[in-house]
Amino acid sequence: MVNSKQWKAWLYLAPALVLLMVFTVWPIINTVRMSLLENYSGLKAAGGATFNLGFGNFVKVVKYKRFVSCLKNTVLLCLWTVPISTLLALLIAVALNSIKFLQKALQTIFFLPYVTNSIAIGMVFAAMFNIVGSFYGTENEIVVTAGIINNIIEFFGGHRVNWINSGSTYTANMAVMVVYIVWNALPFKILILLGGLQAINKQYYEAAKVDSTPRWRVFTRITVPLLSPMLAYVIITGFIGGFKEYTSIVGIFGETMGPANEPLRLNTMVGFIYDSLSNNSQGRASAAALILFSIILAVTLINLWVSKKRVHY
Amino acid sequence: MKRLLPIILVLVLLCSTAFAAGFEVPAEGYDGSEVTVRFYSQQGSTLQGVLNTYIAEFNQLYPNIHIEHTTLGDYDGVRDQIVADISVGAQPNVAYCYPDHVALYNLAKSVQTLDALIDSTVTVTRADGSTEILGLTDEQKADFIEGYYEEGRQYGDGLMYTMPFSKSTEVLYYDKTFFDANGIAVPTTWDEMEQVCAKLKELDPQSIPLGYDSESNWFITMCEQYNSPYTSATGDHYLFNNETNRAFIKRFAEWYAKGYVTTQKLYGAYTSGLFTATTGVRSYMSIGSSAGAKYQRPTANADGSYPFEVGIATVPQVSADNQKVISQGPSVCLFKKGNPQEVVASWLFVKYLITNVEFQAEFSMASGYVPVLKSVAENEVYADFLAKADGGNYIAALSAKVCLEQADAYYTSPAFVGSSTARDQVGALLSKCLTMSGADADAQIEAAFEDAIDECEYAN
Amino acid sequence: MANQMSVLSAKRIRAQFVRQSLGKALFYAAIYAFLLVMAVIVLFPFYWMLISSVKTLDEYRLSVPTFWPRVLMLNNYISAFTTAKLGRLFINTMIVGVVSTLLSLVITILTAFAFARLEFKGKELLFAALLATMMIPGELFTITNYGTITTFGWKNTYTVLIVPFLVSVFYIYLLRQSFLQIPNELYLAAKVDGTKDIKYLWKVMVPLSLPTLISITILKMMGAWNSYIWPRLVANDDAHRLITNGLRSAFTDTTGDVNYPVQMAAVALVSAPLFLVFVFLRKYIMSGVSRSGIKG
Repeated sequence: MVNSKQWKAWLYLAPALVLLMVFTVWPIINTVRMSLLENYSGLKAAGGATFNLGFGNFVKVVKYKRFVSCLKNTVLLCLWTVPISTLLALLIAVALNSIKFLQKALQTIFFLPYVTNSIAIGMVFAAMFNIVGSFYGTENEIVVTAGIINNIIEFFGGHRVNWINSGSTYTANMAVMVVYIVWNALPFKILILLGGLQAINKQYYEAAKVDSTPRWRVFTRITVPLLSPMLAYVIITGFIGGFKEYTSIVGIFGETMGPANEPLRLNTMVGFIYDSLSNNSQGRASAAALILFSIILAVTLINLWVSKKRVHY
Repeated sequence: MKRLLPIILVLVLLCSTAFAAGFEVPAEGYDGSEVTVRFYSQQGSTLQGVLNTYIAEFNQLYPNIHIEHTTLGDYDGVRDQIVADISVGAQPNVAYCYPDHVALYNLAKSVQTLDALIDSTVTVTRADGSTEILGLTDEQKADFIEGYYEEGRQYGDGLMYTMPFSKSTEVLYYDKTFFDANGIAVPTTWDEMEQVCAKLKELDPQSIPLGYDSESNWFITMCEQYNSPYTSATGDHYLFNNETNRAFIKRFAEWYAKGYVTTQKLYGAYTSGLFTATTGVRSYMSIGSSAGAKYQRPTANADGSYPFEVGIATVPQVSADNQKVISQGPSVCLFKKGNPQEVVASWLFVKYLITNVEFQAEFSMASGYVPVLKSVAENEVYADFLAKADGGNYIAALSAKVCLEQADAYYTSPAFVGSSTARDQVGALLSKCLTMSGADADAQIEAAFEDAIDECEYAN
Repeated sequence: MANQMSVLSAKRIRAQFVRQSLGKALFYAAIYAFLLVMAVIVLFPFYWMLISSVKTLDEYRLSVPTFWPRVLMLNNYISAFTTAKLGRLFINTMIVGVVSTLLSLVITILTAFAFARLEFKGKELLFAALLATMMIPGELFTITNYGTITTFGWKNTYTVLIVPFLVSVFYIYLLRQSFLQIPNELYLAAKVDGTKDIKYLWKVMVPLSLPTLISITILKMMGAWNSYIWPRLVANDDAHRLITNGLRSAFTDTTGDVNYPVQMAAVALVSAPLFLVFVFLRKYIMSGVSRSGIKG
């Protein structure tokens, strides 16, 4: 009986496991192999070169003078964007679920970002934060347009901020990145949380109504606990994705990964991996990926441990 | 299966490299056998039409050489595809390339050197009974614009790896209407440029007189014009941290502080947008790609006329004796193959395209690039095109004309793995130094140069 | 005295009632304001895509971006349609999108069920290992996978566009979370009735998790629509090229400059049917869910 059950479970898992073996596990094994061959390059290997076994790639990665800065950017972006985007998405999803008038229309609107091309999203941001002009901070300062966000700030009497252009501060750069990443992540999270909310049994709310429980208590005592599996999902995958942040930075700062006068200031771990890959240094890229992997794994284990205590199924 | 896979891969790789190692031009040249030549390019749909016409013509001469043309959207796409292909031993026969791509493929020793083919005197018979020699005749060699042709030898070992396909360069666009009205002469040297900028700034204090599109090109071109080291394909690669280079950077930083010049990154939008503006902040000169001439033309008025006439000139020089302008645009390279007939057939195809005056003329007109052959200027259709050159509707012709007139000035930079990193780094370096503030400029510049060298060395 | 008291308390009750309904009105006003502001923010790129698609190239390249096109270039849509072979690209993408979504749903449902309901040795460990595979940047897999599919001889086939990415731990995890929320009692009751696992899965768990399955369908379909790097590498012949690749190359000129307005027009063209299908599907399926009363 027990054996047949075991056997059945593996039958259910078989299609996924077979595909994962071929297209995920095998590449991972290969990644580990490449990370342990010093200065490994796929093209050199194809040309017949051989490589020594050792930890040289790992040493080289850690010795990179911007390694700490890459790590710091990666971690900072994660710590800011995951909580903010999760909270916003939760509020939006709950608000959407609690109204009747215009509900369908608003749901459709929040769905539209899915059919928006990513190129358009990048372009909008340039228009919002980019100051077009030159010579900031010199007596010849010329500003052709300060961007929508600065226009708004100036409208309310504030002083415009150099967000992403040459001469901007690290804090301003990071603020833009946080806004951009949160914004990018919102539609996905709203979709997931809204799906979760729609699956919650309405009876719970009706019971709360009869007891005339205050809204805040309904939210914290019914909605959040019942939604906790989806919240856990959104947070954990948010962290995993956040640690792999790279394309969003290229989207705003281009390949320089920083303002024109401070190239690579915002570079992240995955950015570093990309750079190594573009020089065909797969050994170094693999080593960096494994370092990143161990960090994400540790964070995810903590996340899982916390969620085990807090999530109600 | 899991264990077999790597073994199979390794075997495939070994076979392909072993076969390709020693290439000798076959004694019979092309033997007329059926071969498929896989050709990768990045072309958009407009250019494919031109290419298909000439592939068809080529096939009348060599019906058994089948061209399989794949277009991959952009140059990085071509590079990534070929890197992946090489890793499984399935590289194409011919591909569009940039020098740093070729350096990358060379890590795997996959690129076919062309010297033996170029110099071959073997006679090949075509389908119509006519013959040609496999290599290039002396006239054909002499017909190439020298700077373009020499790019194939920039790999440090003196061997020829690529052939030029179609090229572009940088030119100086200026507001001819405004220059004429104010009696300003077009600057030919950087000293004159400084005076012109000062004059323009006086006439229009709200302007940024000069916009330079590419920071990297600017730096590298200055090195060439000063005859000062930039990079080397052999030995110590990164040589750009020197007195001369720091000096010209410092000079341009002073220009920037005076409000004379900006670049695309520093400006935050296309510098051509600044140049084509007719109100508000604008520039009167713009240095950008010769292939992008249409972007440097202001939007036409309702009656089809243009708000101002664009003039095009050679970029300013350090001295008239050492004229240098950058050579950009795709070349083509051949890949090693186990079957020598494939290599010979590929060569015949490449040779057909790059030495065919009609193709070069037609392709140039369609693409905005300049032809790589001097004699194209005498081609009837192309001469007609050039004759129409003006600063309005036929701005592309004007740009091509200027490019052809400066044929002796083209340079290319050494190519090696990491040459593109150097390119990126010097561009960033220029942006950084131009915008620096604070007291000790020399110390800041020195630190920035050292930083850039460090990044280059690390990447390699 | 007593009368006065009752009047007072009546007043108080009424005041409380007014305060309550006023509070309620304010509450809803705040909710609508919040949703509308967020909607505008989220919608901005979509708006930008539409206005960019009707700008002239000159206007698009201006230093100061315009918020409303000066000239409506509806012609962009015509050139988009004629330049790129939209029809073929669209069909290819539909085939790949639909087939891979369906297969992926089946695999995801089976796997998530095993992890949520079935007992087997090493379940926790296996699940953790699955999660771990998400943590290595996938870009590193590209070259290895390219080798694998070349060995299989899959280049330039639909297979290569569909099979390698059928399993997504992302979706398995999501659906497992959803399955875990379904009360265990239902399963045990079904066991007592002698219902087969597969029947229970199909008749109870799948309908109860429909909202999540719809989310997965949408995400997977949009994934097919936006995938770029892998398809370009493995299937770049005309017969199999997908929409994003086709769009990117069709409007790039020789200098590498992209005619963004026309490209945006093309994007809008190919996204429109997709959007309509989703809105329609979602409405249809959701109404089915609430009608049959199995929700929750």
